Amino acid sequence: MTPIIELRNVTKHFGSGRDRVTAVDSISLDIEPGEIVCLVGESGCGKSTTGRMVVGLLPPSEGQILYQGQDIASMEKADYQQYRRAVQIIHQDPYASLNPTQTVRQMIVTPLLRHQTLGASRNGGGRRGRRRNVERRAAELLEIVDLTPVSDFLDKYPHQLSGGQRQRVSVARALTVEPRFIVADEAVSMVDVSIRVSLLNMLYRLKDEFDVTFLFITHDLALAKYFAWEGRITVMYLGRIVEEGPTPRLITDSRHPYTQALLGAVPEADPELAKKKVHIELRSAEIPSLLNLPTGCTFHPRCPYFVPGECDLVVPPLDLIPDGGSVACPVRMSEPGQIV
Amino acid sequence: MSQSTDLSWHQDAEENGSRPPLSLQDVHVSYRTRKGSVQAVRGVTLDLQAGESLALIGESGSGKTTLGLGIVRLLVETAQVSPGKIIYRRDGRELDVLSLAEGPLREFRWRDCAMVFQSALNAFNPVLKVWDQVWDTAKAHRWNNREEVRERFLDLLRFVQLDPDRVIDAYAHELSGGMRQRALLAISLLLDPQILILDEPTTALDILTQRTIIDLLRRLKEDLHFTMLFISHDLAIAAELADRVATMYAGQVVELGPVEDIFYRPRHPYSLGLIRAVPTVTGGFEELSSIPGSPPDLINLPTGCKFHPRCPFASERCSREEPALEKVGDNHYAACWHTDAVQEDIERNGLRGKRRA
Repeated sequence: MTPIIELRNVTKHFGSGRDRVTAVDSISLDIEPGEIVCLVGESGCGKSTTGRMVVGLLPPSEGQILYQGQDIASMEKADYQQYRRAVQIIHQDPYASLNPTQTVRQMIVTPLLRHQTLGASRNGGGRRGRRRNVERRAAELLEIVDLTPVSDFLDKYPHQLSGGQRQRVSVARALTVEPRFIVADEAVSMVDVSIRVSLLNMLYRLKDEFDVTFLFITHDLALAKYFAWEGRITVMYLGRIVEEGPTPRLITDSRHPYTQALLGAVPEADPELAKKKVHIELRSAEIPSLLNLPTGCTFHPRCPYFVPGECDLVVPPLDLIPDGGSVACPVRMSEPGQIV
Repeated sequence: MSQSTDLSWHQDAEENGSRPPLSLQDVHVSYRTRKGSVQAVRGVTLDLQAGESLALIGESGSGKTTLGLGIVRLLVETAQVSPGKIIYRRDGRELDVLSLAEGPLREFRWRDCAMVFQSALNAFNPVLKVWDQVWDTAKAHRWNNREEVRERFLDLLRFVQLDPDRVIDAYAHELSGGMRQRALLAISLLLDPQILILDEPTTALDILTQRTIIDLLRRLKEDLHFTMLFISHDLAIAAELADRVATMYAGQVVELGPVEDIFYRPRHPYSLGLIRAVPTVTGGFEELSSIPGSPPDLINLPTGCKFHPRCPFASERCSREEPALEKVGDNHYAACWHTDAVQEDIERNGLRGKRRA
């Protein structure tokens, strides 16, 4: 099958000269239709930059991004427009991503009218008929994202909604253009704990009911595990992919020392588990600056398994491992890595 | 790094006898707004025991931060703390915090009760070096021996595992988020407070940085037996660091108990709901379920139990009568008419959802 999204050696620089930082450093990633892929890493690892490039909000500095096998940089205008519609993003902050002066109705109806996904010709009835169709569709979309009864929400402004409700509006707004692919960038991070799961479950339902493929970006490994249990997790560190693989393997038997350090460090909402967990001692607590990245493996100054003369010289390739996925660490790739 | 740091200055927990250093008695806090009175904290009664770490957990709007700020009297002017009493005890003397005059209040803050705020960047003055802020603080508390203060602060910086020479003359923006949080912790310990209040100490920090802060706080707790009050929306912080947990909902403590009881034998539907909503990383897949609905409007609170509109155990009684905290086990209290039903539900369905390997 042709991947719906494919990244080929994608690099993104910001700034120039001495101030140039490489936010994403030659990453490659295939995402098949219907798949759920999680991009996990700490701040500054390039996960959000990657997400924004996938949606077309940022052009890559080098490398290609392909949508359904076509390079988005060299698409015909019509194809490009179709790609921009098909690939949508849900941003992290629902307090910043919605227009405060528009009602929910306006936010949903405007793109429906603009993108003519419900043309008058389809149902007849001219302009008024089209407006009616659009209103009906807006109501359907709000129902899909569980903002019911719909009449309670259509005329609300964002400030009258909770964080979780706003995020549902963002999702409904993304759905107006019938996307095939959604980048969810920390989409539930700012939502109260008790409501997160229902948002995740709603997103998950979209995958099945509307055939949406997800790139789920998060710093929270526990959420990644929950959302992508049947998919894959890709771990980034300072702009590079250090490990990827099917979620169950990555969570229970990670190989890259950075992945292991992350998994061991995550605070657990379970006192016994919290006591039992093995924490990997790093050699340094500080993340290197993107302006002055370490040579070789960028994790080597912090890595407890550092091999002088090897890790600090050679950038480790992302090699396939037999248990599924790939790991960019020749030193540890065949060592099992349970954390409990 | 702990070897050389002499923190024996920390007050011995026994000096108050068995009396808790901090007692909250029926504390209410409301905010005046144009739409009406926001009842942020409604009748919290709680003792903070010497040497214990107590976690206040709850969602946004549960009143946990308001309560923390209320203890050090840093609430905005539109807030009104009444009725209620906050009693502080040290060396056999007793203070009524709410009636302290400006002078004694300034003495009380930091020296008796220090607070580490949520956002470490905003807690620093951006145009002063770290040392200048420390020196200001010491002088404000009439500690005028510059050498002594400096020595002490260098010790504290080593304790929080920072390079003292790099940090002491730095501006806040020159430090990373984790370094700032640690520096802030060091400053909060400067005057040897008896009580430390930490508001979301690890929120907005990266995972590996969170871990260094958690480990540091654990040392404060286990090695130095600091009396700490954690405020967090993150159950994991409570699981990692607390001896006791108080679950807050709509301005009230709805469950209070030892950390194992709250996490493994919760008796309030809200605590149970939170536990079932939060995934763990380790282990297989677990089914999660969220709590339906959203947190209540604090101006127009529901009748009866404030949780009843979202509660799967709610009965008709819940919408009429508000339950008070009742004893449900050793040191374990819950405010719910259906604590037995909660227990049965856990026995029948397990604490968390089904796991798939």
